[in-house]
Amino acid sequence: MATPAHRVARPTKAQTAAWELGAFLRHVDYLLLLATAALVAYGLYVLESVTRNDIAGDPDYYVFRQLVYVAVGGFLFVVAAALDPEAYRRVRLPFYIVSLGLLVVVLAVAEEVRGSKRWIEIGFFNFQPSELGKLALIAILAGFVAERRHRMNEWRTTLGVVGLAVPLTLLVFKEPDFGTSLVYGACVVGALFFGGTPWRHLAVLGVLAGLVAAALLWFLPSAGVEVLEPYQRERLTGFVDPDVDPSGSTYNVNQSITAVGSGGFDGRGVANATQTKFNYLPEHSTDFIFSSLAEQRGFVGASVLLLLYAIVVWRGVRIVAVARDLFSAVVAGTIVFALLIQLFINVGMTIGIAPVTGIPLPLVSYGGSSMITTLIMIGLLEAIQVRGRLAGR
Amino acid sequence: MSSTLRERGTRAPGFLPPDPRVEEPYRFTPQMALRIAVLGVLAIVVFAALFFRLWALQVISGERYLEDARNNQIRSFRLLAPRGSIIDRDGAVLVSNMPGTLVQIWPAALDETPVFERDRLLRRLSQLLGVRFRKVSATVEERLETDPLTPVTVRADVSDLKAAYLMEHQSEFPGVQITETYLRRYEQGDIAAQLLGYVSEISAEQLEARAGDGYAAGDRIGQTGIEAAYDGYLRGLPGLGQVFVDALGRVTSEREFSQMPESGENVRLTLDADLQQAAEDALAYGIRLAHDQGEWAADGGALVAMHVGTGEILAMASNPSFDPSIYVGTVEQRDLRRLAARGANYPTLNRAIAGVYPPGSTFKPITALAALEEGLLAPDEIIQCTGKEVIDGQTFMNWDPYKNEPMELTTALANSCDTYFYDVALRFYQRPDSPLQRWSRKMGFGGTTGVDLGPEEKGLVPTPAWRERTFESEIDKIWTSGDSVQLAIGQGDLLVTPLQMTRAYAMIANGGKLVEPHLVKSVEEPRNEGEAPVVIRPYTPKPAQEVGIDPYALRIVQEGLYDATHAPYGTSQSVFGSFPVEIAGKTGTAEKFVRLPGFAGLRDQSWWCGYGPYTKAEIAVCAVIENGGHGGEAAAPVALQVFEHYFDVEPGSYSATIQESD
Repeated sequence: MATPAHRVARPTKAQTAAWELGAFLRHVDYLLLLATAALVAYGLYVLESVTRNDIAGDPDYYVFRQLVYVAVGGFLFVVAAALDPEAYRRVRLPFYIVSLGLLVVVLAVAEEVRGSKRWIEIGFFNFQPSELGKLALIAILAGFVAERRHRMNEWRTTLGVVGLAVPLTLLVFKEPDFGTSLVYGACVVGALFFGGTPWRHLAVLGVLAGLVAAALLWFLPSAGVEVLEPYQRERLTGFVDPDVDPSGSTYNVNQSITAVGSGGFDGRGVANATQTKFNYLPEHSTDFIFSSLAEQRGFVGASVLLLLYAIVVWRGVRIVAVARDLFSAVVAGTIVFALLIQLFINVGMTIGIAPVTGIPLPLVSYGGSSMITTLIMIGLLEAIQVRGRLAGR
Repeated sequence: MSSTLRERGTRAPGFLPPDPRVEEPYRFTPQMALRIAVLGVLAIVVFAALFFRLWALQVISGERYLEDARNNQIRSFRLLAPRGSIIDRDGAVLVSNMPGTLVQIWPAALDETPVFERDRLLRRLSQLLGVRFRKVSATVEERLETDPLTPVTVRADVSDLKAAYLMEHQSEFPGVQITETYLRRYEQGDIAAQLLGYVSEISAEQLEARAGDGYAAGDRIGQTGIEAAYDGYLRGLPGLGQVFVDALGRVTSEREFSQMPESGENVRLTLDADLQQAAEDALAYGIRLAHDQGEWAADGGALVAMHVGTGEILAMASNPSFDPSIYVGTVEQRDLRRLAARGANYPTLNRAIAGVYPPGSTFKPITALAALEEGLLAPDEIIQCTGKEVIDGQTFMNWDPYKNEPMELTTALANSCDTYFYDVALRFYQRPDSPLQRWSRKMGFGGTTGVDLGPEEKGLVPTPAWRERTFESEIDKIWTSGDSVQLAIGQGDLLVTPLQMTRAYAMIANGGKLVEPHLVKSVEEPRNEGEAPVVIRPYTPKPAQEVGIDPYALRIVQEGLYDATHAPYGTSQSVFGSFPVEIAGKTGTAEKFVRLPGFAGLRDQSWWCGYGPYTKAEIAVCAVIENGGHGGEAAAPVALQVFEHYFDVEPGSYSATIQESD
């Protein structure tokens, strides 16, 4: 039987794949991709100059390891972008339970590194479950609000979101990793916000959060109950008034501000950046890498980094708007909000406008888990962008 | 996928409640648009805040922070110069330097550390180095308040092993720095310990007292003896400079000196190390000798050997002594406690200049000279020497209670007749102007000798005015005939130092000139081996003072002293009589009220003072053995050993026996 002339030949599998790939590539947000790649590259460059003097005889120790993480992260970025976000919605519950389990395991088996248990050793890689937990948390919260989108006005929904987040956040808080638990909090706010929770719920939650913070920092300690470690509390309150320095808890901040300030307009260069070189600046390959960058490359170098971030955030905000469905929109919004908060806390603490909480600078700080997770999240943004465009938005 | 929606192809009718199985298509609501806009505004706010803060820090205040960053890492340091050596008159080294390892801590590096962590670090460090945590901690805390940039010395004599451990674990000991230093080295053991003195870190009080003399906290200065008296020459000039350090205090640059350290000068003493050793051995021998005579309480002594014409001190010994090396590096509390223990009998006291004793009969030549000068006594006047004498109702004994013979002055001196001098004393007592005291002062008693070493005791020459001043009750205030009697035979309230006595005997020997005793010959700049050192400052003593004694009077007293060692009735004749070099000198047995464990009462202080050779005197020697019994029993044999050594006389080449007399 001859094929009727008016009927188009059924495309072969190869043709379909080529067509889908072409459509996919047409809709990728190349500016976001470029900005991300530039951030990763710039981050490697910064890491190289910051850690050059850290390990005698092996100036590239950190950069080589970070390169491996970038390679893994790049691969997972592509996978995340290729997968339909719907997949995360389907597996969100098992994913959540696995993450919860890993966070329990880390508390049980991990060895303490500088006073906290954050890492599980897998071969040469120290895996940090709290980073993976971010993804699980975003998926389960977005799934929950998308399912209950008609009942967002109910307190049960709002409390359900908070309730889902509490176990993960508490486990991370217990490690202790106060900075990451703050980012978890940002995820909750993001999910509620983009899920459509009424403003009054958000306002009540905001007041409650303020009261809890006040209790943790001032009321309970004065009543003799310490939930936070004293050093954590001092860092947080020391941020409010750095001159009150009972036991030197603001040492890091002062050294960091000195480092940033001494960088001046165009930086002191690698050889002359003494704050970094002579270790006055603590943790300068991880949490305080921004200070080192600012010391070595000055206002110019720091601005380049911030501008690249601004591009990523700008493109991210656009993607929230083009999302195909509510689940995708909430995921994208939460990712962008969490990234923004993490950026603010990290950079802010190095220049004295945010409390010192010890979280990495996304895509720049040395560390595999953070690098890989952040790349997956941006890959997810690309996936949402492409699916949204394909759905005609 | 949206395809699922389209396949079902239905929409819920408006008049029925929504079918839960039916999913609505996602609609981009105005509320969502608003919330996205809020996110966008928030992002703008965040980036604006970060940019403005960066601009403020880096561009507006950049200079100030650059300055902070630079100051972070510069540390000025002070490098103590190698201290000069102390050498004896022939160049034999007594005290020199040895290299040591110094561990210091910069309080500034701990400024930002929490107190508990600081304590933990200091506790660990002090445990490692074996010093007291509380002392280190207190110093660090105090320095943090006052002067955090000056390092605190934790220990100066750290072993190589511990220094290596600290080097390897430097990251665990922030602010700890390890440098080389110099420590004192006592080349000849504990010889002349009190005289040489010791060196230790300057105290806060000393620093305050020496403000403006170029001392700084952490310097080590001479605390006693020559080390203290000549510290200005010995210490040299410390090096000053800067180094760059990292956050852990590890030095990251070469040292840049703004002032290079200059070694201290050597101090050449007048002391003869061999004679000094002989003198110290002799004192120990004298104490043993006293014990053998039954003088169980003998427990110390002093000896001075001095050149009669110049005042150069050839030997100055004090017993008991101590090992000065306990002060090297870090002083152990244990050692200090041992030195301070009651039974130790003040080993750090230099009895030759700071020990005061009644001189007993060794004072009689001074009484004789004063009486001759005042015309109270004629040299050939005969006075009956009796076993006892009653004066104003009080009985005074002669040391030999069976004596009863007429004597002239030389005999009375040789015999040490007390009653002869009681009569002389009464003649002084008749005079209202206290001539004996005046002459005593002229001959150097009751005042410092001016020796270049401290602290020196003045002693005491009692006068009627002094009694009046000192005592409370009306009876005690009165100067009685008994006071004059006691003074004339060197008893009662009279107190002298061995150095004062030596100087007075040197005056008798040299024809009436009072010399300035001194211990330093010159200050020298050391040269390479084989080259002669360059004398920077020779010691120039004050010219010897003429006391104004008639040479004839001196001659009589000299003869009396010669008879004391050579006449058959001389008090130390059996000791010195057959010595190949002619020695003249006088014994003394001075009663002194002493408190000893389980005993309080009068004990005899054993004295001998004299000089030789008789006709052409070179050296004057005074020895005292505390609670040593009669002068001839303990002190005379001690002095004899020093003469033996000085004149190079073979012991046993002549006969000498101890003699139980005054």
